[in-house]
Amino acid sequence: MGTENVTLFLAMLAVIAEGAVLVALVVWACFRRNPRVVAARGVLVDGFSPVAVQLALCVALIATAGSLYFSEVSHFLPCRLCWYQRIAMYPLVPILAVAVWRRDPKVRYYALPLTVVGGLISTYHVLLEHFPSLETSVCEAANPCTLIWVRRFGYLTIPSMAWSAFALITVLLLVAGAGERRAARYEEEPDTVLEEVR
Amino acid sequence: MTKPQTTRRPFPVLAIGFGVLVALALVVALVAALGGGGGRDGGPAEGVSETRPVTVDGQALAPDDGARPDPAVGRPAPAISGASSDGQPVSILNDGRAKLVMFVAHWCPHCRAEVPRVVQWTAAGAGQGVDLYAVSTGVNADAPNYPPSSWLEREGWTVPTVADDKSGTAADAWGLTGFPYFVAVRPDGTVAARASGELDRGQFDALVAAAHG
Repeated sequence: MGTENVTLFLAMLAVIAEGAVLVALVVWACFRRNPRVVAARGVLVDGFSPVAVQLALCVALIATAGSLYFSEVSHFLPCRLCWYQRIAMYPLVPILAVAVWRRDPKVRYYALPLTVVGGLISTYHVLLEHFPSLETSVCEAANPCTLIWVRRFGYLTIPSMAWSAFALITVLLLVAGAGERRAARYEEEPDTVLEEVR
Repeated sequence: MTKPQTTRRPFPVLAIGFGVLVALALVVALVAALGGGGGRDGGPAEGVSETRPVTVDGQALAPDDGARPDPAVGRPAPAISGASSDGQPVSILNDGRAKLVMFVAHWCPHCRAEVPRVVQWTAAGAGQGVDLYAVSTGVNADAPNYPPSSWLEREGWTVPTVADDKSGTAADAWGLTGFPYFVAVRPDGTVAARASGELDRGQFDALVAAAHG
């Protein structure tokens, strides 16, 4: 399974991640207005929150493995912005792993700053790929951040796949938080919570 | 009165569905792998080599770190003897003629933007009285827009172009630090000016004027 197929696999995962993030955004943006969406939100939170941190760990693991594959197997040199994104992504693996092991629902307070900063750097990197003159009009001879190593489905590059991973981990951690709050609410007013999802 | 029994933590159907989607992505990638799909753009045509041995004669120029006044100005430009990607001999020598030498890398988006502009400007008469040369360097078969010979051909590039060797000997000797890189050389063989990055027509004309001395 060479670079092309690993890229295809990661790109498909990125599309799934983007779809999940889009659904989450729509549900979050509409949930106060439409009772059906309130119910859908309840179903989604109930369905995903018990395994949200585990899923976030899987996403971080795949992103880290993919990043290492590109640099160590495909020999794509990480640029300066790639390194910053790695700094944000790699620690998520041990942080989320420990959270899964200890069943720590508060992990989002430690992980979200990393995912948000990483996502912002990815956003800037994607912009730089589309508008190379944003930063400079020169390609560094060594390893410029404007170099696009791979492109899939016409738009997915390495930083945009990283963005998808950061965004999905962010959403999953928020879902875990929503699940925790929902469970606390259930303890206080179970009938209301159950009514919402009916 | 007893509290009604309800399931607080339902079976995570959605999460499992998500896992199934991920597994499907893996299956599609595996099928693509077994089918031998994918693959990078084709390599160079037969008889074409994107890197060729080059010989440099003369003292190397200081790397262009952007310092102005440029310490390389007034220094003799080293001579380059090599060949184009299709094996035709191309040399950049001290032959008493003004020159403008452009160093490009196929993967650099700024080079990809600049090359068609230079084609357009020279077609419109820019660079009259100056010999224009290019050096294709920084070649990386894993990087985008490979091979550079195909890219330059697509752009209608007719400038004599030296294919630098794998270690970028010509680029190093001329002090390259970023792409695209321009060096204007006077008729006496000394460096008149250097510039890195995308140029507009005015900057290009200024380099041509500097080369005229």
